[in-house]
Amino acid sequence: MSIVMDVRELSVTTRSPTPDILVHPISFSLKAGQPLTLLGETGSGKSLLAQALMGNLPRELQASGQVFVDGVDLLQLPPRQRQRWWGRRMAMLPQEPWHALDPTMAIDQQISEGYRLVAGLSAQQAEETALVDLEQLDLKQVEGYLPSELSGGMAQRAAFAAARTGAATIVIADEPTKGLDNARRDDVVRLLAQAAREQGVLLTITHDIAVARQLSQLGGDIMIVKSGKCMEHGPAHDILDNPASDYGQRLLAADPQSWPAVQHTQRPLPSPIIEAQSVTKTRGGKLLFQDLSLSLSPGEIVGITGPSGCGKSTLGDMLLGLVKPDRGKVCRSNDYSPRRFQKLYQDPPAAFSPYWTMGTLLADLCRLHRIEHRRIPSLLKRLELHPDLLGRRPDAISGGELQRFAILRALLLDPVFLFADEPTSRLDPITQQETIALLVELARERHCALLLVSHDEALVQHSCDRQIALHH
Amino acid sequence: MMASSSSTERHSRGLPTLTRLGLLRGLSVPFGRLIGLVMLLLLAAFAWLTPHLSTAEPYRQDLMATLLPPGSEHWLGTDHLGRSLLARLADAVRLSMGLALLSVASAAIPGILFGIVAGWRGGWCDRLLSTLADCILALPGLLLVLMLAAIAPGNFWTLYVGIALVLWVEYFRVVRAATQTLAASPQVQASRLLGFGRWYIIRRHLWPELAPQVMTLAAFGAATAILAVSSLGFVSIGLKPPTAELGLMMTELFPYYQEAPWALAQPVIVLFLLVLSFQLLAGSEPK
Repeated sequence: MSIVMDVRELSVTTRSPTPDILVHPISFSLKAGQPLTLLGETGSGKSLLAQALMGNLPRELQASGQVFVDGVDLLQLPPRQRQRWWGRRMAMLPQEPWHALDPTMAIDQQISEGYRLVAGLSAQQAEETALVDLEQLDLKQVEGYLPSELSGGMAQRAAFAAARTGAATIVIADEPTKGLDNARRDDVVRLLAQAAREQGVLLTITHDIAVARQLSQLGGDIMIVKSGKCMEHGPAHDILDNPASDYGQRLLAADPQSWPAVQHTQRPLPSPIIEAQSVTKTRGGKLLFQDLSLSLSPGEIVGITGPSGCGKSTLGDMLLGLVKPDRGKVCRSNDYSPRRFQKLYQDPPAAFSPYWTMGTLLADLCRLHRIEHRRIPSLLKRLELHPDLLGRRPDAISGGELQRFAILRALLLDPVFLFADEPTSRLDPITQQETIALLVELARERHCALLLVSHDEALVQHSCDRQIALHH
Repeated sequence: MMASSSSTERHSRGLPTLTRLGLLRGLSVPFGRLIGLVMLLLLAAFAWLTPHLSTAEPYRQDLMATLLPPGSEHWLGTDHLGRSLLARLADAVRLSMGLALLSVASAAIPGILFGIVAGWRGGWCDRLLSTLADCILALPGLLLVLMLAAIAPGNFWTLYVGIALVLWVEYFRVVRAATQTLAASPQVQASRLLGFGRWYIIRRHLWPELAPQVMTLAAFGAATAILAVSSLGFVSIGLKPPTAELGLMMTELFPYYQEAPWALAQPVIVLFLLVLSFQLLAGSEPK
């Protein structure tokens, strides 16, 4: 099979006199009909690699090595000439489409603009072709909508259509499923697979093992990347079924589908500490749920799954009293102070004031509730957090550690109910597994009821006693 | 993400900074702001030290020694009434800086307070304050000051109230927007769930967010106030002679520009330096 793109010893470094190596030399080749998937945790330099291939690295970084396409070394081409390739020969599917689309322009116009300016069609032809695209992508009903009026999945599909108007033969998808729920993730993967079949060359960059698994149905290769280094590289099926490297094994074992099954405790449950009695909630004229009843007992772990926008988080916020139900009521046990009902957030850095060190923020909490300061060191140890982290601000602490600090903060108040709102959706698989395992363990150990919201059904199945699925 | 964090770090290092100059390790102040600060300190030193270092008096006339060029007796020369330009300039700078600080403080304090209240409480409170702010924005600022100056001509306090009344709206709008965003953020919700009260949230969440924006506005506000007072002085609506005020001095010295160009140049240069140093201090964020 012919090699379309041949990458030899490509590396990315900073431009300083003593360069930091962000991506270590990597070699691979892209063949027609054989997609390549780069799999690795966030911050492992995957996106930089994509930018180096496209030629849009930030100014202060530089790529070295060779990237051959049709016998031309792309890295030797002047930037202007490389830009002429964008859209026509190589296309990049952006990470978060709602940022890549023009917020003030209707999507059909954005797509037809691509056909007119990149592919060189006449205005009328461009519009017609754009409409055909919309129809194929099942976006016909939102013709003329602005990106902000679309759901994440629709925006992703529209961005996909816009990126491909120039009929580029090499498609690079950088985390194409970030922030999408399962159903929409599958849609995007289907589009990618279609692109791979029709045009040949597809490079997908992802941290999501499920995406790699789905793409492996087309054959092709997988490369596992960690901290800018290639850990292993080989045929997709071999790597997914039988990873050779230590890191590869840990990464694949962290896929929620491979987690050990939950050991259900069959002891009689104590009386519930929190209860929703036939609550109904609408948002923006849309019914989220109706006559829903739910109760949690101490130490019980309940999972809520469902597509994004179905009201999962709203239900949790309602139990915490942050949102009022339209009908029905929420009862909390009167034996406990309201401070013992706590919440964990989806984006750990967003849950802390970024201007103060962890130590300051925790000391504030201890002072407010007259908690003994010496409880902190033992909790740090329990959560495997290094005491030095107390001297750092949230932006200098990794997402996984920060989420554990959020757990620590809640534990200081001896929670009886913890609402974890997608607590690991921004974490890479290995950290996700560790964090969820820790949460489950702590909830059992301290008889704390845990409400776990996630879009990942496998995750909920493998960690919760009970599961509630919400629908649109 | 690795890529984005490293690139923002580098962007902020676009200009030479104190850290790069090897001073004040760990504190990064853009070079432009540093120059603005140094210029302001020098001007302040000039304004407050001159009366102690020189015996010249700003209001003593000497009609035998009018329009003298700079020399050993009168360092910066004299004006058309034989008054020492050195002493008058120092007086004028003190007046301008004092007025600038006063009007900035009295615009910033209500602006910030109203902004926090409106952003935090929302509802009728927000609507009332926002409408008030819109009404003030609908009036041309300088016109309001002119109106007040016409009611009580030549009075320092009218000028000051007029300028403060116009300038608070800017603080209000910036603070209100930032407060609204923050009040709805997960970090504030988390702090509330943990039991923290509103003063804690203002101190730990809101103020660190607002401070840099407010400081920038304050420096621009000071420059605007100084220019406004001088403009009013120049068109003889502001402070009245014999007060030493930069705009007024320009008008007074204007008829003598052919005989004594150095005299007219002095208030012009000082005003320029004063406004420039505040503008530099305000800085424009390199993006």
